[in-house]
Amino acid sequence: MRHSDARFSGWQGVCLVAITYVYFLIFAQFAFLQRLASLGIADTELKAVMAAMACGGILFSLLTPRLKLWPSPNLRLGFGLGASGAAALLTLLPLGTAAAMAVAMLIGAGLGLLTVALVTHLLQFTGNRNPLFRVGLGTGIGYLFCNFPPLFTASPQTQATVAALLCLAGIFVVLQKTPQPVAETVMQGPRPASSFLRTLACFAALVWLDSAAFYIIQNTPALKAGTWQGSIHLWANGLLHFAAALISAWLLLRRRGLWLVLTAAFVALGGACLLLLDPQRALLASVFYPIGVSLYSVALVAYPSLIAPAASAAERGRQAGWIYAIAGWCGSAMGIGMGQNLGHVPPAFVLGAGAVVLLPVFFTVLRQRMRELALTTVVLLAAFSLDRILIAVKATPRSSQVERGRQMYISEGCINCHSQYVRPNSPDVLMWGPVESVQELRLQRPPLIGNRRQGPDLAEVGGRRSPLWLKAHFYNPPVVSGASIMPSYAFLFGDERGNDLVAYLNTLHSAGVAEHQLAERTWHPSPSSVAEANAGEGQRLVQRYCTTCHSATGHTRLTWQASFKRLPPDLSVGPFLYLPPSGPDAVRMDRLAQIVKFGIPGTDMPGHEYLPDNQIASISLRLSQLIAQPVRTQE
Amino acid sequence: MEEFMNPKMRDELAPPRRTPQVVASAAWHSLLWLVTANAIGVLIAILLLFPGLNQALGEWTYGRWVTVHMNLELYGWTSLPLAGFLFKVYGAGSGPTANWCRPVLWVWSAALGVGALSWLSGYSSGKLFLDWSGYARILFPAALVALWLLLVFTLVANWSYAENTAIATRAAKLMGLLILLLVPFLIYIASSPAIYPAVNPDTGGPTGASQLESSLAVVTILLLLPFGLTQRKAGYTRTIATGWIVLVAESLLCAALGRADISHHLPAQYLSLGSLLVWLPLTPAYYAAFNWHSNTRRWRMAFLWWWAALVVTGWVFFLPRVLDHFKFTDGLVGHSFIAMAGFTSSLLIFVMVQLLGEGGWIFNRTRSFYLWNGSVIAYVLLMTIAGWREGFDPSFTIVPGIFRNLLYVLRLLSGILMLLASLDWFVDASTLLREPGTDTGTADFAKEKTA
Repeated sequence: MRHSDARFSGWQGVCLVAITYVYFLIFAQFAFLQRLASLGIADTELKAVMAAMACGGILFSLLTPRLKLWPSPNLRLGFGLGASGAAALLTLLPLGTAAAMAVAMLIGAGLGLLTVALVTHLLQFTGNRNPLFRVGLGTGIGYLFCNFPPLFTASPQTQATVAALLCLAGIFVVLQKTPQPVAETVMQGPRPASSFLRTLACFAALVWLDSAAFYIIQNTPALKAGTWQGSIHLWANGLLHFAAALISAWLLLRRRGLWLVLTAAFVALGGACLLLLDPQRALLASVFYPIGVSLYSVALVAYPSLIAPAASAAERGRQAGWIYAIAGWCGSAMGIGMGQNLGHVPPAFVLGAGAVVLLPVFFTVLRQRMRELALTTVVLLAAFSLDRILIAVKATPRSSQVERGRQMYISEGCINCHSQYVRPNSPDVLMWGPVESVQELRLQRPPLIGNRRQGPDLAEVGGRRSPLWLKAHFYNPPVVSGASIMPSYAFLFGDERGNDLVAYLNTLHSAGVAEHQLAERTWHPSPSSVAEANAGEGQRLVQRYCTTCHSATGHTRLTWQASFKRLPPDLSVGPFLYLPPSGPDAVRMDRLAQIVKFGIPGTDMPGHEYLPDNQIASISLRLSQLIAQPVRTQE
Repeated sequence: MEEFMNPKMRDELAPPRRTPQVVASAAWHSLLWLVTANAIGVLIAILLLFPGLNQALGEWTYGRWVTVHMNLELYGWTSLPLAGFLFKVYGAGSGPTANWCRPVLWVWSAALGVGALSWLSGYSSGKLFLDWSGYARILFPAALVALWLLLVFTLVANWSYAENTAIATRAAKLMGLLILLLVPFLIYIASSPAIYPAVNPDTGGPTGASQLESSLAVVTILLLLPFGLTQRKAGYTRTIATGWIVLVAESLLCAALGRADISHHLPAQYLSLGSLLVWLPLTPAYYAAFNWHSNTRRWRMAFLWWWAALVVTGWVFFLPRVLDHFKFTDGLVGHSFIAMAGFTSSLLIFVMVQLLGEGGWIFNRTRSFYLWNGSVIAYVLLMTIAGWREGFDPSFTIVPGIFRNLLYVLRLLSGILMLLASLDWFVDASTLLREPGTDTGTADFAKEKTA
């Protein structure tokens, strides 16, 4: 590869790639559609307008390499940018359907001319020092700019104006560079591992997935809210795009880099499409989607311009034309069509796209690593057969609900956050006691002692928490238990697993529970913590831990109200059956503190055993203010 | 002859001058799992800070990922270098079995992949660090059997080679194969929920005797390793003998302690564990008695420093009151980090650098060396601070506040830096596999043998 101008720094290439992407993303793919909606162009008319854009794009993608007019690369680029910018400005006018179709065709034609001309002569603008990195940088900047919140949330007219101004800036950039004849040689370094047609098919599959996912997110409020609404989301998306674009450029420099990038892009995009099937996983999809898009977007520019072998500029242009016509325009149209008609990407289609992208890689690996695959297959099958034989030989008795619940405890990795061991002669005893002997422990298969506590010890949880509390907590831990960091396990209650787990935890209590409860009644918060109790802090803690059940509008109370043994009393109303009806304030405060710390045995009221004395005292103080008039008592 | 050479000459002659392809492949697989496990480590550090993200993971929540993270570190990163070591010891990189080394590594990695999927799918034995159940419980030992068979065939094929003619060498290699044959079966049996080690009744953790036992197993490996990696220097017989005599003495002490469920408050327990401190001066002296490739210097120093830190903190953390304070807290997470990310990782890298010879450059970049070790130190300090606070107040972790979150953010950052360092090694290992100049390949090995 030779370069014509040693002084050339390559920033023009970065700018032109970035401008082209910004124009396409923020205007052609986004603002123009919104503008059409605001003009009342929808349904069949919208399809006609979009078809006109696709026709213009396909036509000029294929025609540009064959045009004899404007042989200078700069002129071609200038006209492409000019047409694109003019089209953007025209959308500011009050367009009818026919005019919109004409403008759409101009947008497609301008983009076709611009993209094909740019990649055909990209080396002139990037220079030959790290051209792949510059493509990655330009793509990353383009995506980052599009996700800049003020631009992303601007009106379609503003976005169109910005796109037009950028085209103008692009023309200025192009004019800065005197056209130089570049000897076309095949670039040294990264080479495609497979044929042009196979690469074209991969790009088409990826663009199809991308367009379908984009359309579905854009038109599904729940998904849109979970993916690209709000400044933080947009900044995160932009930065993910930027990082993935740079990583893509870095990967493309490596051996088999193109296939690595296309495979990674498929994994990310296919994963995003599958995650979008469940709106609750939109957040995760919003991580994978930009990564996948940026990965392949860099390759979409780099492959025809720098990687694909081409004997001449004309051949490079023709290859680019086919890629953008088939993969770009047709793939995009098919993806949008899928989004419009189905509203989701079917898993079978993701599988098909995977076959297109991964099968060539698979066959390459198969050819080169026959011995490895053969031995691995043999061992996998042998182990599988042995496993089946052992299962058949060992007749496993039907397990009880508690045993199944214990297995759930193990399966979910509860042991990684919860111990089941109360250390004797330690503060554990008061919080989570009573103590279990090692002999009792050894009866368990295996003992689930654990070695790290991110949450409370559970050795005696069955004596401290009711089945209802456990169930409610599994559904929504942070709501039921203050600032709990435990994940929700609501999914376990889609079948019997959740109830099994609750049944198991409910059995976790030893014979010494009654004795331990007596010890709890002798506990008092330290005098210093009582003296320093703070009602303001108490109010904050009451809000966090108590109101979810003890307020008329509490979330847990409303969700589970039919299941409580006795509906928790509203703090402002009562009755408070477990408080002394009269007597010194200190005595009532003391009892309140005990209830807050250890709960009320036999009811759904939990304790907060791990809270320090000063917080317990503050909660008690605040509660004693709220509970001014106890109605009656049972104790 | 060796005795007449100056140390520098001996250093340069001892190790392989070029990179054995099979060892490079083992290093690559090992690093692949290090990167994967570190990436998962970063994920779980993020989940601890933003637990709401669990919602997006469906059933693959925090608890399942922790299992995958720990097991991949243990059975991937810290175990696969052993395969490279055994390839070297048995000469598997040459002869008719050379082409089967890489397939055996694939089988190991496939077993780990299946294991990861099974843990994520909820298949677990409930035994931390021996978490093989269902199909994976058969598959992983089967992968070890595949490695064992390769070593057997290698020994048979190379039986008459010059390196195997000494009776002592043949006996040692046969003995090694016998011991290695036990490993898959031991892993299968030990994964059974019915087997559980001795319990310290005051903590629920290991007893002093069981800690001494596992530490002595590590010491045995430390003493054996040099014999498979390099040659002795002349004049250090007494140093080497001292090491083995002390090991035998400590093993007798350990046997005398028995395997009962005994508290760490008993002086016999913590004093006997303290006997490990003797290895602070002995280990560096022992390793100085062998010739090492000049490329190993950096990581040899690192592993010896981490070993010293591990022995000292291991004992201090076991002392009464200290263990009572730190048990179940992040403080012990920090200590286990000294063991795994500090000592074990630097030891493994040192071994791989020695095995790779000139190819050991992949681990010797200054940036990744300091990135890794600096991040591990930071991680350990952060976790010790968190554990110290948590020892006084369990709600420090259970109900996260600003200080806990700050510590966890810093921990996340150190995890990301470790991930970057491991990526650096992985990328270089991938390059190494393709570098023709550093690859002896099986043909070259065969030529060397013939010569």
